[in-house]
Amino acid sequence: MAQPVIEAKGLGVKFAVNRRRKRSLREMFIHGTKRDPNAGSTDFWPLRDVSFEIGEGECVGIVGKNGTGKSTLLKLIAGVLIPDEGEVTVHGKVAPLLELRAGFNDQLTGRENVNLVGSLHGMTPQQLEDRFEQIVDFAEIEERFIDTPVRHYSSGMKVRLGFALISQLEHPVMLVDEVLAVGDKSFKRKCYEAIDRMLENNRTMVLVSHNEGDLRRFCGRGLYIKDGLLALDTDIESALSAYNEDTQAEIDARKNNKNKKKKNNNDNNDDDGDEKAA
Amino acid sequence: MASRALAVWQNRKVVSLLVRRDLKVKYQQSILGYAWSMLEPLAMAGVYFFVFGMIFQTNRGVPGGDDAPGGYLLFLISGLLPWLWFSGSLGESPRALITHSKLITTMKVPREIFPLAGVTTRFVDYLFTWPVLLVFVFALGGQTTWEGILLWLPLAIVVQFSFTLGVTMFLATINVLVRDVERIVRILNRVLFYASAIIIPSLMVLDSDTFPEWFKTLYQLNPLLGIFKMHHTVWFPEDAPSAFLMSTTIGGTVLMLIIGYTTFRRLETSVLKEL
Repeated sequence: MAQPVIEAKGLGVKFAVNRRRKRSLREMFIHGTKRDPNAGSTDFWPLRDVSFEIGEGECVGIVGKNGTGKSTLLKLIAGVLIPDEGEVTVHGKVAPLLELRAGFNDQLTGRENVNLVGSLHGMTPQQLEDRFEQIVDFAEIEERFIDTPVRHYSSGMKVRLGFALISQLEHPVMLVDEVLAVGDKSFKRKCYEAIDRMLENNRTMVLVSHNEGDLRRFCGRGLYIKDGLLALDTDIESALSAYNEDTQAEIDARKNNKNKKKKNNNDNNDDDGDEKAA
Repeated sequence: MASRALAVWQNRKVVSLLVRRDLKVKYQQSILGYAWSMLEPLAMAGVYFFVFGMIFQTNRGVPGGDDAPGGYLLFLISGLLPWLWFSGSLGESPRALITHSKLITTMKVPREIFPLAGVTTRFVDYLFTWPVLLVFVFALGGQTTWEGILLWLPLAIVVQFSFTLGVTMFLATINVLVRDVERIVRILNRVLFYASAIIIPSLMVLDSDTFPEWFKTLYQLNPLLGIFKMHHTVWFPEDAPSAFLMSTTIGGTVLMLIIGYTTFRRLETSVLKEL
């Protein structure tokens, strides 16, 4: 593997759980730690001890149950969260598709927003001018709406415009979080094509999704995250099947529990019946 | 810290974009737009002139005497305009990070630029009010000196910018974690206004027998007093701050910057989680 583009070493993030409420200043200064309403809280590590390397041109899918830290991991790679443990190094700029509407200001028009967010992500005015048509075309936004404030857009329009814009960035690393789930069928197809094109250009991509089709389609490698730990780092098929196995096991366990309960109830009923009969 | 400063400098374009966006949003939404930047200080000046100038005869304390060029009205205007910059920034400071939470959680930029952009936006607003000031200067026959324009004005602006930035970083960070700050800011805004010699010339406190010495010292420990005295000095050379006041002003500003910045850096990790 060539020089890794993304390197993560022993990543860990902690959140405080059981925080009943934020402390007020009075409590902080006057009562010190004595009256901390969160004293009973414990640290919770949504992610811990995660290490991996991703090389150039790789497409890596992250799978795992809800709330196991997949999005947190992407945020760490994007640099918008600071890890409490370990470190992550990314060589090159990152194009984050974490939340598409991000950065759009509702008061400004679509055109102004594209220019603003584009330049915030490092596009030059020249690039923006050249690609503006393409972006609007891709987003399927009608000419007459592009100069309307974004607050009048439908949520689909906002997301489409966001994807169209971010996908025009030429950053070497792409992070995609569940955004393929939005949009109608025809837009989805266009997104696929755009992503295919990007991958052909040897760009590195990290994808978080619950859609196995998407994952199989794009990713060669899979990271399976389980309870905040990196459980598997293999090809996407194995990662998905491990995930599916665990899910199946869980479902079975739940079913068993239910059956047992039902059975117990039935037994009790039977007893009642017996007594009556007697 | 040097590397962070460099990172902010490399992202100066982002700051200017944010500033331009904020100004655009602000002026686009209202019909009068830019006129508001002028009307607010004018209305305030009118009210204070009526109350303090005409009724309480505060003009006797104007540095350089009652008949100093420009008089009490110019004294008021030249203090009110930079005050609006400070108080506007102070009022917005608790939300300086919260309003940008969407950008902060999706874009990798040094987070310092958000407080910086907030203060800069208000600063540009202040620059926009200079025409008003100049109109008053000409109409009232205000006079300045080379020293005033080349030394006191830039110094006042630099010190005020640094102080405001320190305050904003401090309050913005704290407010993400504890929301009490927004209330405190409203009180602070009022107290500091009367404590900073904007409508009441500082001589009326410092030369008065009513106040004990300790109170006068306390009064001079407020860096804003020095800042606004510098703003006044541009038009009233007699108002030049004393060496003691200058040292508390600059010392206090540096201290505020350090406090603001360290708080910001130390709490950055938790702030990002809360946003």
